[in-house]
Amino acid sequence: MSRVVVVTSGKGGVGKTTTSASFSTGLALKGYKVAVIDFDVGLRNLDLIMGCERRVVYDFVNVVQGEASLQQALIKDKRVPNLYILAASQTRDKDALTLEGVEKVIEDLKEAGFDYIVCDSPAGIEKGAQLALYFADEALIVTNPEVSSVRDSDRILGILQAKSKRAENGDAPIVEHLVLTRYNPARVETGEMLSVEDVIDLLSVKLLGAIPESEDVLNASNAGSPVVLDENSAAAQAYNDVVDRFLGEEIEHRFLTVEKKGLFKKLFGK
Amino acid sequence: MNKVIDLKGSILSLTVLKLFSNDIEQTKEALEAKVSQAPDFFVGIPVVLEPEVDNLDPTFLALLVELLHQKQMIPIGIRTQDEAIKEQANYAGLAVFTEEVKSKKRPKEKKEQGGAEEQTGLKTAMVVNHAVRSGQQIYAKDRDLIVMGSVNPGAEIIADGNVHVYGTIRGKVFAGSQGEISARIFAQKIDAELVCIAGLYQLSEDILPEYKTGFVEVALMNEQLNFKLL
Repeated sequence: MSRVVVVTSGKGGVGKTTTSASFSTGLALKGYKVAVIDFDVGLRNLDLIMGCERRVVYDFVNVVQGEASLQQALIKDKRVPNLYILAASQTRDKDALTLEGVEKVIEDLKEAGFDYIVCDSPAGIEKGAQLALYFADEALIVTNPEVSSVRDSDRILGILQAKSKRAENGDAPIVEHLVLTRYNPARVETGEMLSVEDVIDLLSVKLLGAIPESEDVLNASNAGSPVVLDENSAAAQAYNDVVDRFLGEEIEHRFLTVEKKGLFKKLFGK
Repeated sequence: MNKVIDLKGSILSLTVLKLFSNDIEQTKEALEAKVSQAPDFFVGIPVVLEPEVDNLDPTFLALLVELLHQKQMIPIGIRTQDEAIKEQANYAGLAVFTEEVKSKKRPKEKKEQGGAEEQTGLKTAMVVNHAVRSGQQIYAKDRDLIVMGSVNPGAEIIADGNVHVYGTIRGKVFAGSQGEISARIFAQKIDAELVCIAGLYQLSEDILPEYKTGFVEVALMNEQLNFKLL
């Protein structure tokens, strides 16, 4: 059974695309066949973070509009087997997507035997974001520990519950998971950031994982390699935990408290 | 006392014959074709005519009535707004039903009656089983509202009756929105952007911090919102 997972947030710049890249790569590393679709038509980024920007010939819009076949547009990841990327178009806008066209692409991906279809939503609550979440079975809500991000996530949760296909058909609701990104326990302690508990209390969604704020994320994005592949990074471990918990494993949450630095670390840094 | 007669209104079910052509020959053919399918069915049935075309030939109705009698149907009336057709109907001995407008009104009246019945019956509170999220608005018309989760910032809950929230109110809350001054608000915790009963409101900053700590009741007293920790 294929599952459609939307990665969404409402607010921009919170780490949707980073999460989409690492989450889909993590699932593929577990042996699942994964397709990740960039819904951010006009502002495509996913191909950069996945490091395949020079291999985009046909994109999502071409497929939706029937100008290319799905096989032509799916870009096979070079590092991880079973991982395919469907890039967004940079030259079009979100009006180029239609509900019927998106449905056809998702149905075709299901037929092609993909286990997970990850939809990287654009920011906002308009057409692009609504199309990205419409066919979802599960949702990763990406939130930063600050009030505006939490409020926008709350808004998008409301839309998930009202405007998805599942909601309109009266089926079982979309399974919601919270991914807290850019989490900095030190700044939570000083009161500069909302704590995990605050965010969960506000959103009443189960936490799938907190991703610690880390330089590795930016470096990985610049290098065009999902951070999850950087095994030494705390962010990568956190994303791996997210994937494991998503697949049903019970793992204790990490990276929620300030790491006590030993004398050695204090003297010599990290 | 024995009644000799009694005149009463009654709603009967009648067959309506809709006419889409003002050509009597065409109509005759169509009718004959219809009747020949089940000749017995049409014997003796009362029929109301309803012309969907205007510019009927002055003899059209008379000819049609004659035709229907031949087929052993009993044309009893006509439903129309058209003055010219009404006049023809008069000559053809048909009753005129000016039903068109009324027929549109009827269902509405029925609905209103239905609404009135509901009002007199028990109208229980509207229950929301989840959190009310930013951008969502919930209105419990003519009844109480119970929210099992929290009301998040940017959300609005409105009830014509009382409001009960078994979470924290962080958005806006309106009780007695039609002006019911005895409406009250109960909440596990209030940290609302706005609290309003029957049009009288307080903003978050005007609510004393001590009332934001626990289970609280808000009611109107002397045209002022009165908070009370329970």
